[in-house]
Amino acid sequence: MDRRTFLIRSGGAVGSLILVGCGNNSGSGSVQQPAATGEAAKAAEGKTRVVFWSSWSATSGEALQKLADEFNASQKEIFIDNQYQGTYEETAQKLATALAARQVPDMASLSEVTWNKFFLNNSLQDMTGYFTETKLDPKDYVESLIGEGTKDGKIWWVPFARSTPLFYYNRDMFKKAGLPDRGPKTWDELREWGKDLMGKGGAKKVFAYTNAKNYNAWHFQANVWQWGGAYSDKDFNILIDEGGAVEAGEWLRKFVHQDKMGYMADDQSIDFGNGLAATTQQSTGSLGGIVETAKFEVGTAMLPEQEKFGCPTGGAGLGILASAPDERKRAAFEFIRFLAKPENAASWAKTTGYMPVTKSARESKEMQAYFKENPNYQVAVEQLPKTQPQDTARLLIPNGDQTIGTGLERILVNNTPAQEAFKNVAKQLEDDAKEVKESA
Amino acid sequence: MSVTAKRTARNGKAGIGGKGRLHPDHLIFLAFIAPNFLLLGLFTYWPMVYQSYLSLTRWDLISPIKQFVGLENYVVLFGGQEFQRVLFNTFYFTGTVLLGSIVLGLGLAVLLNQRLRGRNIVRSVVFAPVILSGAAIGLVWAYIFDPTYGLMRVVLGAIGLSSPSWLTDTKWAMPAIIIVYLWKNLGYAAIVYLAGLQNIPQDLYEAARVDGATPWQSFRNVTLPQLSPTTFFIVVTTILGSFQAFDIIAVMTKGGPVNATTTMVWYLYEEGFVAFRAGRAAAAAMILFVLMLAVTLVQVRYLQRRVHYS
Repeated sequence: MDRRTFLIRSGGAVGSLILVGCGNNSGSGSVQQPAATGEAAKAAEGKTRVVFWSSWSATSGEALQKLADEFNASQKEIFIDNQYQGTYEETAQKLATALAARQVPDMASLSEVTWNKFFLNNSLQDMTGYFTETKLDPKDYVESLIGEGTKDGKIWWVPFARSTPLFYYNRDMFKKAGLPDRGPKTWDELREWGKDLMGKGGAKKVFAYTNAKNYNAWHFQANVWQWGGAYSDKDFNILIDEGGAVEAGEWLRKFVHQDKMGYMADDQSIDFGNGLAATTQQSTGSLGGIVETAKFEVGTAMLPEQEKFGCPTGGAGLGILASAPDERKRAAFEFIRFLAKPENAASWAKTTGYMPVTKSARESKEMQAYFKENPNYQVAVEQLPKTQPQDTARLLIPNGDQTIGTGLERILVNNTPAQEAFKNVAKQLEDDAKEVKESA
Repeated sequence: MSVTAKRTARNGKAGIGGKGRLHPDHLIFLAFIAPNFLLLGLFTYWPMVYQSYLSLTRWDLISPIKQFVGLENYVVLFGGQEFQRVLFNTFYFTGTVLLGSIVLGLGLAVLLNQRLRGRNIVRSVVFAPVILSGAAIGLVWAYIFDPTYGLMRVVLGAIGLSSPSWLTDTKWAMPAIIIVYLWKNLGYAAIVYLAGLQNIPQDLYEAARVDGATPWQSFRNVTLPQLSPTTFFIVVTTILGSFQAFDIIAVMTKGGPVNATTTMVWYLYEEGFVAFRAGRAAAAAMILFVLMLAVTLVQVRYLQRRVHYS
């Protein structure tokens, strides 16, 4: 072969290689599993490797990995390859692109906002059959929680890291300010306490709100209900620009811009933990982390009321991807079953602050003893029965969470009157709701 | 490479005058360009074609159905205040960065061109941020800008100013991002200008001095015109680079507060991968493409003619 022919042939070879490579990706049918990384590749040898895309780092991430390790050590057939993918939103983004690229994990953690999208696109596996086969009783799960993942009597999304907002306060500052050792009964009471907290208490600010990326629309959902309003009703009628929702927004605006007591923090956990703000509202799932970092006595309380009590549920559950082969789907469900065991559900709840999702875990001796030792955590559990699922505007309208969150930022940062900010939000939500109605 | 290129050029004429058949040398030429051409086609041109199609649809990235909606995405973009704000942000950011890079970059280069002790170390230090990761820089600067604990507060406090809440204030978030981006990329402009400065023949300055020019006059009438090719290069690379700035925004503000730092690239990322509106994102990307094409055309047609090449 002379040089010329060699060049021509090798050029052709490179070209066809590229075409073959692309053909694989765009071809229909075959869906691949993401590769194992690091030590997982070795450990999974000879076992059914289940790729689990999860959304927890730090304290919670370590707790999850510990559970996965225990599961892997407990039997010889299945290896859970737990791969951290970032926040709930980032996990959903990666899952969406993974589906397009046909390289899909077998199981993923999906938040109360993101799971619905994958359900509507038939990407999730109906798990009802697995429950019956493995004799795992769905009724053991807290009813309202598993109810959210059940559609037409079929279970698509199993509760795992479920949380609610919780009121956090700096007990040391409350003491210094001469205030009772409890959360305020109403938001107006917090405002009355504000002067003492910023004076004698030594707080820079009374209450830390947060931004859209840190789910301020989830936290504000509670406020809207407390003022007797709603984001929307079940039929996607948008109510955020009227009544209680606007009043709640106006109260917030005055609290921030006139009283100078509230403000928008980048991450309210950090500012509260540093003693910058005397109180804040954050997920129960952050309890473990906040108590660990704070150099003061952390107190928790049920959310303050205004006209009435209101508190949403949130957090994540687990979904199995329909595209995975049967063997791996069953293997993934084995892990879900493992996580539902009382001792495991309890240990996860204790380390992280998420709610015990099964009744057997909640009533276990271990959990009961923990409640007694940790009154902070007990508050979260007592609040749970009073919670309700969120309004459709945030749960089901595409990007509804961020649309509402950005409107809130305008109030928090720009001092925009609530009526004006929410009018724009309502318009956007109505536009985006059309897409849902059409596709439903 | 050059041998083959020459040969192809020589034989090319014969080929055209010949029988209209593919000469073996053409095949070699094809073999040489094929790998690049295929890769470019697959990863640059095909996505562009596909994207222009996507921009006419409504699609959520997951659904198998892409609903054709015509120009609706463009109508929504240009009709809404949000996108106008995004365009404004993009031009605000790019314009300030461009001006800053040229003025400060040239100033730094003039300083670094002096015969001072330790200037090699200073040159390295000035260039260092260019090769650092944008994400790491963003993280460090986020701490610097913290209104309660940050270094910036201390610096401003020393001269009697109070620190704004840089990253949570709609007025200050963009200046903060610009400061960081400039800080990161200034070294690049400075080093390129420095190379330009050192290429200016010394006899021009001597001639100017003989004619009695002041230092400012020789800077104004010798240095600046001689640097025009360098400036042209910096204008092009800075505009194209800052149009696509992403990492620092992602780490420091995520486009907020209230879209104050949402530039085109961040916007299309948010629309596509956070809001799952792939069609809207594709339309925004097409607009970005047209804008960048326009900038390039203006530069090639107009600016280049005015640039002096020695």
